[in-house]
This record gives sequence, structure tokens and C-alpha cells, in this order.
Amino acid sequence: MNRRLHRIMVYTLLSIAAFVSVFPFLWLILGATNISPDILSGKATPGHALFDNIVKLTQQVDLVQLFYNSTKIAVIATALTLVVASLSGYAFEIFRSKLSDRIFAGLLAMLSIPFAALMIPLFIIMAKLHLINTHTAIIIPTVASIFMIFYFRQATKSFPTELRDAARVDGLKEWQIFFYIYVPVMRSTYAAATIIIFMANWNNYLWPLIVLQTNETKTLTLAVASLLSAYVPDYGVVMVATTLATLPTLFIFFVLQKQFVQGLLGSLK
Amino acid sequence: MSGLKLRNVRKSYGAVEVIKDVSLDIEPKEFVVFVGPSGCGKSTLLRMIAGLEEITVGDLEIGGTRMNDVDPSKRGIAMVFQSYALYPHLTVRENMGFALRFAGVAKDQIVKQVDDAAHTLALGELMDRLPRQLSGGQRQRVAIGRAIVRKPEVFLFDEPLSNLDAELRVHMRIELARLHKSLAATVVYVTHDQVEAMTLADKIVVMNRGVISQVGSPLDVYDNPDNVFVAGFIGSPKINFLKGVVERVSKTGVTVTLPGYSDAKISFATKSVLLAVGDAVTVGLRPQHFNTSGTLKFKLNVELIEHLGGESFVYAGNGSGDLITVATQLGRGLKAGEKFEARIDLAKALLFDQAGQRVR
Repeated sequence: MNRRLHRIMVYTLLSIAAFVSVFPFLWLILGATNISPDILSGKATPGHALFDNIVKLTQQVDLVQLFYNSTKIAVIATALTLVVASLSGYAFEIFRSKLSDRIFAGLLAMLSIPFAALMIPLFIIMAKLHLINTHTAIIIPTVASIFMIFYFRQATKSFPTELRDAARVDGLKEWQIFFYIYVPVMRSTYAAATIIIFMANWNNYLWPLIVLQTNETKTLTLAVASLLSAYVPDYGVVMVATTLATLPTLFIFFVLQKQFVQGLLGSLK
Repeated sequence: MSGLKLRNVRKSYGAVEVIKDVSLDIEPKEFVVFVGPSGCGKSTLLRMIAGLEEITVGDLEIGGTRMNDVDPSKRGIAMVFQSYALYPHLTVRENMGFALRFAGVAKDQIVKQVDDAAHTLALGELMDRLPRQLSGGQRQRVAIGRAIVRKPEVFLFDEPLSNLDAELRVHMRIELARLHKSLAATVVYVTHDQVEAMTLADKIVVMNRGVISQVGSPLDVYDNPDNVFVAGFIGSPKINFLKGVVERVSKTGVTVTLPGYSDAKISFATKSVLLAVGDAVTVGLRPQHFNTSGTLKFKLNVELIEHLGGESFVYAGNGSGDLITVATQLGRGLKAGEKFEARIDLAKALLFDQAGQRVR
């Protein structure tokens, strides 16, 4: 009886957690099919305004340009961050010394500095480099992500040292060990990192808001936010835009789902 | 095949010295086993030979060439690791040909060498599988195949059987011995398992705390241990050590009494006598050397018996708390608590001085 009660409690809690997680998405998709007054009145059933909302959205923003900008920034930043963070994490773990440990501790300490404190110096640097209103200004500060370096360093602990030894006996140089052994063996780690970095860059709001100043350079996230700043926001349009903005991260998550879970578990199997 | 020489080799990590002045000659085609307890430095020494650890002081020669600063891949060695270290993302075929690919060997030559090794190890059906699709024994064979493909001068094995179950270990041990014969290769093999050491080795190197305690053939090391450590480490069940006192010293030998065993007396013939009357000594008696006709008798009480089928191990004491282990084929009828008379030939007894060195 106790076991049955326990199961009921577990499933009740899991159901609540699942509902809390899924409901916003459901409401988002339902909202995209409804007009603004219906959404505000709390209507949570499918409507008939999806097509109208899409047309209105395309009239208000250049959707193709926004997608292109966001994708370009997210893809380049993700690729560069993966290279820099994994190389750094590998080096910090494999070539450990007192000095490298101190440098790493210093890096970790920097994690505690809020981005708000970095914005002004970063803006001045970008201005001096004449990078304001460019996508490069968005990408550069994200590339050397301390959190991702930490993530790869921790993951490297599970990389078997005997594989590296075997590769050395087989005649591989250090860079070859990294690219021919480490990268394929740690693909789950890379998959999880790809999702985390891509999402962070895709959803990046504050820094692009400061740096990107023309419609041609703006990202989808900025555009969605700007839809809300109208005198009377059209929530149907906002819901459509938000749904569209969510699709790429959802797509990447579903493609890499298995590796993502393995990567977070640190499994090498 | 090349031989291998270590000359006054030392290895330090900061102030901690883990290999202390090791010198050793390994002849071509010899199967040498480094054996010793965990932390004795045997794996470190193997890794130094492989080039995976730097040699702090001393010289390593393979085939007459100094190899201290030579890259691991250019030393003419191949290594089989404890965990097999197969590349998990590559098939068996790719794993075996990996080193050749990076050595710039032509593709058709790689295929030929890989196929030859696969044939030797009967890996035919497994060639397109990934390591995770193989059993432990199959992985081990692939790891050995990967080593064979490179046609090395010296094979290095780092506890290669320790991850296998007991039955497979015996099987692989026989396969390794066969392989050594067919390849006529120089092999350096590390293990903490003395059965592996005794059965595979031409020469055993017993290590303890970073130094070589004794080098010799398996039977030599078993019959004539140089010190208490080797006597205790080689042989299963462990040799019995009995405390004794030198009672008489002559030009040709010494007589030792065993105070804990009714003052039993044992005479040892020695070439040079460095002992004096009254010195404390240790007498070593192997469990297998007890019999029914020996001249030295021990009257003991049976405390525990382990029946292994073919023979039994009798653990018996004389009330002093120390137990003597006796290996006997006549132990089936014995029961704990019974009186038991153990006999041994005096000629089989080993004498060690206070410092643990053998007195011969």
C-alpha cells in the first residue's frame, strides 16, 4: 500500500512539473492562432487567426533578414565557442600545473562579475574597434565563455588517459590527439555544449540591444521584444513571432537530444 | 627483435622518488615480467620504457640505441593497456590500422598488415564492429592485434588480463604464451598476479618500493628468493615465516632453534657466516614443502581448512597465535580443532637474517 501511495505521489508531482514546463509552450502555440483580445481574455483553445497573425508579422518586420541575422550570429558564435572552450578545457585538465590551476581559479572568480558591470567597458572597446552595430561585436565577447571552459574541463576528467597514451604510442601529436580522438570520443559533451551555447546566443538580448542600432543588423529576439513595445501590443503577432523564434532551438534540441542527456551525465559509452 | 637495457634509471615526481636506481638487461625474444605489489613502480617503469613518462636520471637503450628522448612512436614499441584503450569511435579494423595510417603507410599495405594480424588472432568476424560491441576477451585480442600490426621490436603489456574474469584470464594467458612463441618477440609484461608471472615469464623481475628485489627465472625466484619480500610475494599460499634464534655457528653453517615450536632445531649449510650466536633470524617454510616423511616435525592444532579439490590448505597453530599454512593432498579427512602433525624436509627451509636478506 505504501509503495502504491509513493507511486501516486511521484506521478502527481511529475505531472505537475510536466504541466508547468509544457503549458507555456502550449499557450504560446494556442495564442498564435488567436487574436489579441481573445488571448488577453484567457482563451486557451485553438483559434482561426494564425494566418492573419503571420501576415501582420511579415508586414511589421523583415522576417527573413531577422532569421538570417540571428542564425548567423548563433552559428558562428557557437562554432567559435566550441573550439575555444574545448581547447581551453582540454589544456587546463591535461596539462595541469600549479600555474594553470591558479589561472583557472582566477577565471572562475570572474564568473561572479555580472554582465551589467562589463557592458560599459565592453561598449567602449567595441566603439574603439569601430565594431558598434556589427555582428562581430556580438560574437567576440561570447567566444571565450568561462562557463563553457569550466564545462569542458570537467568533462575532460572523464576522458580516459589511456586513450591519450595509446594515441601517443600510435604516433599522434597533441593536436592530432585532440582532433582525431578527443573530439569524436567526447561528442556527447559537444552536443550538450552546442545546445547550451546556441540557445544562449539565440536568446541573447541585452548586449545586442545596446550594440545593434539599425533594423538591418537586429536579431529576432530584439524584434520580438520590439513588438511588445508598441502602444497597444498585438499579442497574436507576438505569439507567432515568439513561436517562430523558439523553433530553431527546439529543432536543435530534438536532433541532439540523446547526446545532450549523455553529455550532461558525462557518459562516454 | 631487439633487447632492452636500463642503466641506473630513476624517476622522481618532485621530491618523491618512485623508481630508485634500476638497472636491467632484457635479451632479444625474452618474455620478462615485472611483478610486485600495487605502488611498487612496475607500471611507471613500463611507461618510462614506452616513453609515456620521462626518465629523470639514467639511460634506456632499445636495440642498442639510447631512447630517453625519442618519441614513443619511434621507439619500436607497441603497448597493450589494462583498459585496452581501444578508440571507441573506430571499428576494429580502423583501430588496428590507426597507427599505420599516421605513420604514412600505403593503404594496401595497411590492409595486408591488419588482415595478417586479424588472421593470427582469429578476429575475422569482428573487424567491422565497434569496441562497445565486443566482449572483454575480444577487446583484449583486438588490443593485442593493434600492437602486432605495428611489427614492433618490443611489446609492452600493462596488466592486460586484470579486467578479465578468471576463466578468460587463463585462456588469454595461454594465448599470450602461444603468441610469444609464434612472434618470437621481446615482451615486457607488468602484472601483480604472480600466477601470470610464473607461467608466462622467461625472467621475472620482482619489484618493491621502486627497486628491483630480485631478477631470475620463475623457479629460481620461487626456490631461491634473495630476501623475505620475494619469498613472501612469490608463492601461493604465502610462505610461512617462523621466528628463530641462532644457537650455534660453525665454519660450514648455522643451527637455528625455533622457540615457538618446542625449540625445534634446523641446521643450515652456509658459504659465509655473518651471523653470531643469539641473533634473531627468520625461517621460511613453503606450504607446499610439507609432507609425511620430513625429519622436522610440528605438532599443531587445526584451526581452518580450505578444500580446493585436488589439495587442501590447512591453517594450524601451536597455541601461540601464529598460524602455519600447510598445503596437503591428505587434508580431506581433517577437521578444525583436531591435532595435526606437519613434517618438512630440512633441506627445503630458507634462512633470512634480521634485515630480511637470505643467508646462503
